[in-house]
Amino acid sequence: MTRPGRRAVIAGVATSDYPHLPHLSEHAVHGQAADRALADAGLSFAEVDGFATTGFFPMYATGVAEYLGLHPIYFDETNSGGSSFEVLVEHAAYAVEAGAVDVVLVTYGSIQLSQMGRRLGTGGGGGGFAPGPAIYDALWGNTLVGNYAMAARRHMHEFGTTPEQLAAVAVSMRRHAASNPQAQERQPITVDDVVSSRLVADPLHKLDCCVISDGGGACVVTTAERAADLPRDPVYVLGAAHATTHHLNLSAMPSLTVSPAAQCGPVAFARAGITPADVDVAQLYDSFTITVVLTLEDLGFCGKGEGGAFVEDGGLEVGGRLPTNTDGGGLSACHPGMRGMFLIVEAVRQLRGEGGATQVPDARIAVAHGTGGMLSTGATLVLGREAP
Amino acid sequence: MTERWFPDDMPMPAANAETVGWWEAAADHRLVVQRCTACGRTRHPPGPVCPRCRSSASEWSALSGTGTVYTYAVVRQAFIPSLQDRVPYIVIAVDLDGASGARMVSNLVDVEPEEVSVGMAVEVAWEDMGPELALPRFRPGPRR
Repeated sequence: MTRPGRRAVIAGVATSDYPHLPHLSEHAVHGQAADRALADAGLSFAEVDGFATTGFFPMYATGVAEYLGLHPIYFDETNSGGSSFEVLVEHAAYAVEAGAVDVVLVTYGSIQLSQMGRRLGTGGGGGGFAPGPAIYDALWGNTLVGNYAMAARRHMHEFGTTPEQLAAVAVSMRRHAASNPQAQERQPITVDDVVSSRLVADPLHKLDCCVISDGGGACVVTTAERAADLPRDPVYVLGAAHATTHHLNLSAMPSLTVSPAAQCGPVAFARAGITPADVDVAQLYDSFTITVVLTLEDLGFCGKGEGGAFVEDGGLEVGGRLPTNTDGGGLSACHPGMRGMFLIVEAVRQLRGEGGATQVPDARIAVAHGTGGMLSTGATLVLGREAP
Repeated sequence: MTERWFPDDMPMPAANAETVGWWEAAADHRLVVQRCTACGRTRHPPGPVCPRCRSSASEWSALSGTGTVYTYAVVRQAFIPSLQDRVPYIVIAVDLDGASGARMVSNLVDVEPEEVSVGMAVEVAWEDMGPELALPRFRPGPRR
């Protein structure tokens, strides 16, 4: 469907202020991120003809569009949970490559932390809200963390993964967060700190769980041809794909140790014409430590069952096997509920060489992979500095 | 009479045409699974079509009520306020004997968290919620 001469790029990115925004409405977080991303791209609202965002009520995107004063001729509010923003950017890439629109603004905003009225949490709810088949899990008091705990327990059973290996993920994210002045948690932690923190749902401890934050971000998708006149080096959308295996009920997930990344990752890599070995830096959804281990395996950065060993000894840190979540991730930096936009922003910054203390030298190819629901959805974006 | 474990304000299921048979059997303390009468695949939760062959023909197939723990979590922080005084409690995903492909999430009771293991044999233990509603939970079952 791609028209000759139209190649999707990300021309601008931004994060809003985070992680604590008691003075802002949810819409204002969108607005702050949108202003900054368009300024980064060197574009104005008047040049935006497509808009995408998602939230937790119907016609969400049209509401935010109204607030931003946009009258787009393309809009999208696909909600796949934490992977939504990778999906929205994939769709936007198709739209600009098809010639439907020229500039798609994608925004995210959340004040989840301020709405909860507390500073730290352990991954949010689960329970009272149980649409459709989800009731068949929720009735027994299962929680969001409980779902991921069951995946972790099964991974431990099948592959011998240890709590200490899972903890290594949290330790590395915290090390990256120390270089991010905005990060919610920056104090260094050790493996022992993680495994001696309070159990929320065995075998996951409090420090195996993401922080709960306010925050948002935005990116601008356009064509390489349009970006040629713009101030920033464009980042190419080299390949993308997404997948789902079940809704919010884990009982319908075929295997608790294989996430939808196993399906969409290889497709996205094939579309980009790369292999996992070509990836210089990864931004992987880290709602919980086990989420990262499953994603690394399913995307093919290591074999199934080898994720525990892969993340040990700083494997995910800059200089390690695969530098991952260089901003500190959802485990330490910021997790406002659907973190996928932060993955995209940080991937673009790395490819532009704006990573600061956690910059991966000469990063040319980055992967952003979002995970949504109860390991229900996955979406992979392969981004690159050079035209394919 | 022992106090009911499930609090009164838990979200309750709204049965529809495709699921009412499962709840009616449960009310009679019969654990059943939906079985496709075209290809034989079992599925849970109940739904309108077979995910393998897409047939809408199905029947309620009686199960023995035994199974094995596929995985489990020990919930120590509940998010439904009325469950907060029930922690810790054990949530399991159980592979039901005679229902290949149909896994169920439930609770494991009458056992300490430290004694649970993946692969453990379990059997159904019913909890009456009222005259027309009972929920299957599980307890350690006989070794087979």
